[in-house]
Amino acid sequence: MNTAMNSHQAHFIAHAATLPGHDSALIHASRQAAMQRFMGMGFPTRKLERWKHTSTRVIAQTVYRHVNPGCVGLDPADLDPHLIARQGIHRLVFINGLFVNSLSDMSALPGGVQAGSLARVVNESPGVVAGCIETFPTGDDQGFSELNHALWPDGAFVHVSTGTRLTQPLHLLFITTASREPMITQPWNVLIFGSDTHALVVEHYVTLGHTTHHLTNPYTSLILDDRAHVHHLLLLGERLPANHVGTVQVTQKAGSHLGSHLFANGGERTRQEVHVTLAGAEAECALDGLFFASGRQHMDFQTSMHHACGHTRSRQLYKGILDEQSRGVFNGVIRVPPGVHHTQSRQTTANLLLSDTAEIDARPQLEIHSDAVQCSHGATVGSLDPDALFYLQSRGLDVNAARALLIHGFAEELLQRVAPAEVRGWVGRSLNPGEGVRDEDRPGIV
Amino acid sequence: MNILEVRDLHVSVMHKPVLRGVDLVLHGGGIHAIMGPNGSGKSTLAHVLAGRDDAQVTAGTMLYQGMDVLAMTPEIRAGAGMFLAFQNPVEIPGVSNVRLLKEASNAHRRYLQLPEMDAMTFRSQLQDRARRLGLADDWLLRAVNVGFSGGEKKRNELLQMLVLEPHLAILDEIDSGLDIDALTTVAEGINSLRDAQRAMLLITHYPRLLDLVVPDKVHVLIGGRIVLTGGPELAGQLEARGYGWLAEEHS
Repeated sequence: MNTAMNSHQAHFIAHAATLPGHDSALIHASRQAAMQRFMGMGFPTRKLERWKHTSTRVIAQTVYRHVNPGCVGLDPADLDPHLIARQGIHRLVFINGLFVNSLSDMSALPGGVQAGSLARVVNESPGVVAGCIETFPTGDDQGFSELNHALWPDGAFVHVSTGTRLTQPLHLLFITTASREPMITQPWNVLIFGSDTHALVVEHYVTLGHTTHHLTNPYTSLILDDRAHVHHLLLLGERLPANHVGTVQVTQKAGSHLGSHLFANGGERTRQEVHVTLAGAEAECALDGLFFASGRQHMDFQTSMHHACGHTRSRQLYKGILDEQSRGVFNGVIRVPPGVHHTQSRQTTANLLLSDTAEIDARPQLEIHSDAVQCSHGATVGSLDPDALFYLQSRGLDVNAARALLIHGFAEELLQRVAPAEVRGWVGRSLNPGEGVRDEDRPGIV
Repeated sequence: MNILEVRDLHVSVMHKPVLRGVDLVLHGGGIHAIMGPNGSGKSTLAHVLAGRDDAQVTAGTMLYQGMDVLAMTPEIRAGAGMFLAFQNPVEIPGVSNVRLLKEASNAHRRYLQLPEMDAMTFRSQLQDRARRLGLADDWLLRAVNVGFSGGEKKRNELLQMLVLEPHLAILDEIDSGLDIDALTTVAEGINSLRDAQRAMLLITHYPRLLDLVVPDKVHVLIGGRIVLTGGPELAGQLEARGYGWLAEEHS
């Protein structure tokens, strides 16, 4: 055991009595058990199958400062570049993992929707997260999520009641501010969608100002009740010294539909896991991901699609664009246990390498223990097509413009799946794949 | 001034000589056709004019409006008014026709130091041209050449040509894969651009296109050399007699 791990434990011991939910036996036990498991397993190492491409050595050796309220000197205008320009957007803002009411805007939330600080909700009625605690993934590779379960100080709580339609996007903006010493932020986000609900939630991570090395370790629980129809956008756009290790855990009940759209271009080291359990018939899930890495960025995406019930459908499309010396990983597991029939699953990953020194490891992993299934997968890696480059040059575009247009074209398939148009344009501009993404040129706008 | 002046052009592809001394001069208003059997070097000539880097010029000169073509990148050639309609137009997923046409048009205008055209004017002109070529309204929003039939791709090339209004158009088998009606539409498009300022080079296997777009001269390219040049009537003779008699004479 090292100094860094001890520091997390010391923080737990010192603050267990004040962390949200400390009055609740349920929450307290959950935190304590997680801390014990974390101390037992530590941070994952490359000896673990699902961590073999990503080193956690720097993180495991850093003594982080936990939670800094740090919105001192923050001007609301600082947020502007990160806001979605659309009337009626609902917004929750978190600074270094803590909810900031004064920067949030929930004035237009319809009845039947509760959105705010998880700490506050859990202090008042801890039982609301009981269902989420049951879905925490276990395993010796879950050190980061255990640390979050033990120490989360706040996060977003969203509850959409049965039959409610959230017609405007809900923007959850997580900001890490400038700091001189390494800092860790660990929000737990609980998003619960009742039966027959509709919603679009944007979970968005950014950095303000210049920071040193910091670690964002969020954990998001998504629960979709019967026939809930949800789009979840996850935007990872932190600045370069950031390390981001995030987990999304989804449970879908009968007839529910989830569109999960991940877009990543930030951070020095990014690791995102998305675990989905399709727990009811006719549940349907589409996992999309688009990442853009350059310099020495390292990005590692792990999905697991668990068809726990028959008559469920899933589709995955992850695309990577890698330049310079960047490194990408995609590992997608599809799991169909024995006795589960009539499932459909498809997984595709396509990767574009823009330099000779960029690398991608793309691997499908199928654990199909049932015969009555349809399952397909495919992985491709390529570079920009020289014929296409010449074609564009012959139309007057210089090499850089031609490259940018081809990169944009590669990314477009995933951007197109985002609606409404303002959000799509905003994502495109935030991600800037190949530069010059102009919303006016997108189909459907002319 | 000549629009295009090619002198004693020798070109190799993968170190294999493909063009072996081609001479070609096009004046403003001129339309020349190049015919010849497969493998005679027709497409290589088109590619080398457009700047494709897999073809190496080993000897000779190419002047476009008096400028040394070899000193110009493909995009500079395009900006200066040269245009190649590809025999096999490339599919570009995720990039709409309107996006490509706008980027191309703006690049062209920048070259000419003209301001970019405003989006509304550009769109309405574009829609107008697309309709004249019988292209459906959603055409402009579709990804460039993706899922297009052979004929659709050729019409798309022509649409690009009509938007860019080149001074030298090199049309590499623009007629292949077209049915009679589409051929008529394409020929009308080509003829609409015909004026004293422009020149065109039509590379084709079939005289049918040349009945609709009547050239001033027809050149026969065999074994990397122009072996015969005649008037438009030569196309008909070639259809009747084939290339065999010429190949024997020049073997």
